[in-house]
Amino acid sequence: MAELELKDVIKRYGATQVIHGVDLKVDDGDFCVFVGPSGCGKSTLLRMIAGLEETTEGRMTIGERDVTHADPAKRGVSMVFQTYALYPHMTVRENMSFGLKIGKEDKAEIKRKVDEAARILKLDPYMDRKPKALSGGQRQRVAIGRAIVRQPEVFLFDEPLSNLDAELRVEMRVEIARLHKQLGATMVYVTHDQVEAMTMADKIVVLRDGIIEQAGPPVELYENPDNLFVAGFIGSPRMNFFTGQVARIEDGKAIVALTQLGGVEVPIAVADLPAAGAAVTVGVRPEHFEPEGSVQAQLSIDVIENLGGVSYAYSSQAGSDLPVIVEWRGKDRPRTGGDVTVAFDPSSALLFDPESGLRIR
Amino acid sequence: MTSTADTHAAASGPSLDWDLIRRKTKSYFAHGLVLLLVAIMLLPLFYMVMMSFKTSTEIANDPLGLPASLYWGNYMEALSSMGYARSVLNSMGITVSVILVVVLAGAMAAYPLARLQNRVSRIIVMIMALGLATPNFVTITPIYVIFRDLGLLDSCLGIVLAFAALKLPLAVFFYTGFIAAIPVELEEAARLDNCNNWQVFWHVIRPLLAPVTATLSLFVMIMVWNDFIYPLLLLTDKDKLTVMIAVYKFVGNTGIDPTKLFPAAVLGSLPLLVMFAVFQRKIMAGATAGAVK
Repeated sequence: MAELELKDVIKRYGATQVIHGVDLKVDDGDFCVFVGPSGCGKSTLLRMIAGLEETTEGRMTIGERDVTHADPAKRGVSMVFQTYALYPHMTVRENMSFGLKIGKEDKAEIKRKVDEAARILKLDPYMDRKPKALSGGQRQRVAIGRAIVRQPEVFLFDEPLSNLDAELRVEMRVEIARLHKQLGATMVYVTHDQVEAMTMADKIVVLRDGIIEQAGPPVELYENPDNLFVAGFIGSPRMNFFTGQVARIEDGKAIVALTQLGGVEVPIAVADLPAAGAAVTVGVRPEHFEPEGSVQAQLSIDVIENLGGVSYAYSSQAGSDLPVIVEWRGKDRPRTGGDVTVAFDPSSALLFDPESGLRIR
Repeated sequence: MTSTADTHAAASGPSLDWDLIRRKTKSYFAHGLVLLLVAIMLLPLFYMVMMSFKTSTEIANDPLGLPASLYWGNYMEALSSMGYARSVLNSMGITVSVILVVVLAGAMAAYPLARLQNRVSRIIVMIMALGLATPNFVTITPIYVIFRDLGLLDSCLGIVLAFAALKLPLAVFFYTGFIAAIPVELEEAARLDNCNNWQVFWHVIRPLLAPVTATLSLFVMIMVWNDFIYPLLLLTDKDKLTVMIAVYKFVGNTGIDPTKLFPAAVLGSLPLLVMFAVFQRKIMAGATAGAVK
């Protein structure tokens, strides 16, 4: 296994630039997840690492080797595709051993590696079947097995679970996490599923328009987002944003009046205090609302989503396209159409500059 | 409680289901029409087989009637005078060689054409499509002159090359569409599995072309086997003649010998019919491949 490093990596298609100078280091044995909205360049970046897309500028290293312009097979990477990309005319065993056969490895060694991968992935009963005789989950396991037998330095996963149903997705998520632990391999994983990103990653890389918005451990990104985009993208349901204005500075805190919540004042402690009168955006996560607290607001509930252990209350607000989302636990939950008083601890609120979108810390 | 419809039904008694009758009539009519078309198509074949078993007297007295008994003497005579085994072997050799060349060259040409999305590849595909539309008589003279200059007249290589060149556009046309529908991820996976371009084609793309290859082979087989013009034009040695030319031997300048012509025609078509019957399932699979996901 090895670390992966991208230095000022750029990708252009003709005059259109899709990846803008990406710098990234994935440590040896790390599970790194690329997330971002559709078209943000996460799959392109992964394909550039695989060598399936040419890197226009910049440098890419795996371990000590410069692989920027190396052939896909010479990079020491294996990739698991969203569509599995299993060879339909080959059996499971042939699919898994194909790369090694082409590489002219010793037959006994090929058999040993394939059997070992089959054992790890519990594929032994299906080795003589063709892909069409397998379920979606089994096919995905074969695709992973094909990647394992090549003993790559870096595993690449391109939305590998998005073709599976919800139950199987959870199962495979656990399986991939277990595999990562077992192999201790460096893995780069592309997904648009936040739960996958949060539960599997050692490091999440949030991309937007070919730029890394923030990279770091999942909890770090969740609790300390650098900007409005990351704050809104990481977390499900998303963070609530309230427009406000700094009423005054008091005891080293910015007292922000939230116009959307009837002018309620929130004291937020930040080192880089904005000027009084400055427009700001305040972010509060749904789970940070409580029935009682120092900052209170009245909400009229439009919709309740009851998930059993937790409910989400949606309340539309004048002047905002997005409803306020409040998480409720316990027995005393609001009903659709009712009015509720909610509160939150100001220390859990985050402050952002609405112009630049950057966090005010 | 009784609904209005129930009351109506009770009042009018048991009524005919006109909708069902209409549907059944339509179905019978459609089936009848199909059977009629099949009968019309099979009629010449039936006539050929029937005539092949008639004696010369029966043919003269009642050309459209059924034979009194199955007279195998015609077949014996046709077999002994047309050099059947030799001509069938020639036809088979030429047909199989043409199929091999067309399938291999066609698939290899179609692979980059299907994958490259540039103007040059589109122009090449268009030129190939023009090749499909070119009438036979346009190419006869140039082919004869070129082959004469290359010393390829009256040679098996010459006739195979001529047929291969003529059928290649069809193969490229078949394969281009089929390969374009193969997911690119399979090739990418193969590249990650250490394959070069040739290995991707040979180990991944080529095996997936089996159904369309079966269909293409059938088309080429029918066209080459039944072709009369090019073997007549390019071959003169009687040991190299194809079965269709051998059958034509019984058509004279002033008349035909039906007692030999019809059994010869049956014998000439027989290998083709047998091959079609054997490979029918694969051929149909190829013809409908890609129609549904």
